[in-house]
Amino acid sequence: MLLVLSEEYKEHLAFLPQVDPAVVFEFGRIAVEFLKRGINSKVYDGAARKLGFPITTVQHGVEGLMFLLTESSKLMITDIDFKDSVMVLGFSTALNEILLQLYVENQTTIRSTLTQLAPSLPSYHNLEWRLDVQLGSRSMRHQVVPVVTMLLNLTMGTSENRRCCLQTNPSTLLHLIAVLEAALASMKNNHARRILRNIK
Amino acid sequence: MRFRFCGDLDCPDWVLAEISTLAKISSVKMKLLCSQVLKDLLEEGIDYEKVSKLTADAKFESGDIKASIAVLSFILSSAAKHNVESESLSSELQQLGLPKEHTTGLCKSYEDKHSALQDKLREKSLRLSRLNSVSWRVDCILSSSELKEVNEPTVHLKLQAQGAESGSAETTVVSVSAEKFRVLLTELKQAQAMMNALQ
Repeated sequence: MLLVLSEEYKEHLAFLPQVDPAVVFEFGRIAVEFLKRGINSKVYDGAARKLGFPITTVQHGVEGLMFLLTESSKLMITDIDFKDSVMVLGFSTALNEILLQLYVENQTTIRSTLTQLAPSLPSYHNLEWRLDVQLGSRSMRHQVVPVVTMLLNLTMGTSENRRCCLQTNPSTLLHLIAVLEAALASMKNNHARRILRNIK
Repeated sequence: MRFRFCGDLDCPDWVLAEISTLAKISSVKMKLLCSQVLKDLLEEGIDYEKVSKLTADAKFESGDIKASIAVLSFILSSAAKHNVESESLSSELQQLGLPKEHTTGLCKSYEDKHSALQDKLREKSLRLSRLNSVSWRVDCILSSSELKEVNEPTVHLKLQAQGAESGSAETTVVSVSAEKFRVLLTELKQAQAMMNALQ
């Protein structure tokens, strides 16, 4: 499938044919660095001064390259489709080759960075537990009540950790274990196996 | 096969695999590696430089170094967890294929630090909220807008606890009148008597 590039986008990239291919390569490298680490506007100043272009042009150029790379990695388009999409911009074949090379080299890293941006639910990290026996309370002495206390550590993406404190008696815990084992076993039935086979 | 140091369960497959990696270094180096791992388990800090020097002769890659530290931590911590004596640990490890000199070295280090390890594990056990400090102050209310002469003593209690779910310090301030405070004190003394009876 082809990328659809707007007019404004073509304007932003219009200055790329006017510079050396080596400079385009450098811009491509800067674009990939920015995708990995975030934008550093001092680089724009340096580049603009060296090339003699206004800062906004340089900024639009680099951001245009970043957009091209992310959109193509997101849609995982083939090399031929990439070449066709880029041909719309009206660049020379050498420039197209440079852009294609940039795309092919960095496709996997960009895809892995993009997967981290997807929203994530809290997921299991660690479980600590302890077994207590309640022997008495203010209202009643001489009790024997076993209690299992669990501290569930969850992580959301890379940042915050949530801690969830749960208490249960042993019979509920046994029921919980039975339900979870049934859930694990349901992965082995025919329906689930058919679907997994098709995904792989 | 049931192993006591795994809590009467099967030994995990990765432990079996990494025991053969451990057999590659000499037994002297393994004893030094054990002492480093024990320092890490007792939270005294592990010196990764020394570990890489110890494993350099056997040409361990970084993955092998991590695996050998992981398997030694697992063996030592789960042996302490299930309170296994060093003779049974030694015979079980030999059953798994660890050579005799390595096993004796490991079990000697285990026996030396056995009680220290158990104390450390007991400290790390789950505690929901911990009470960090208590401070108090006794005031006497002289008068108020409702009544001219009140003359009532009150206690202000400030309890600082480490929250379970948040993990950060939580402060609770309570002011208690004299009768309520007497009731609180009696109840807590009864709870303390029950706790002492258990020990």
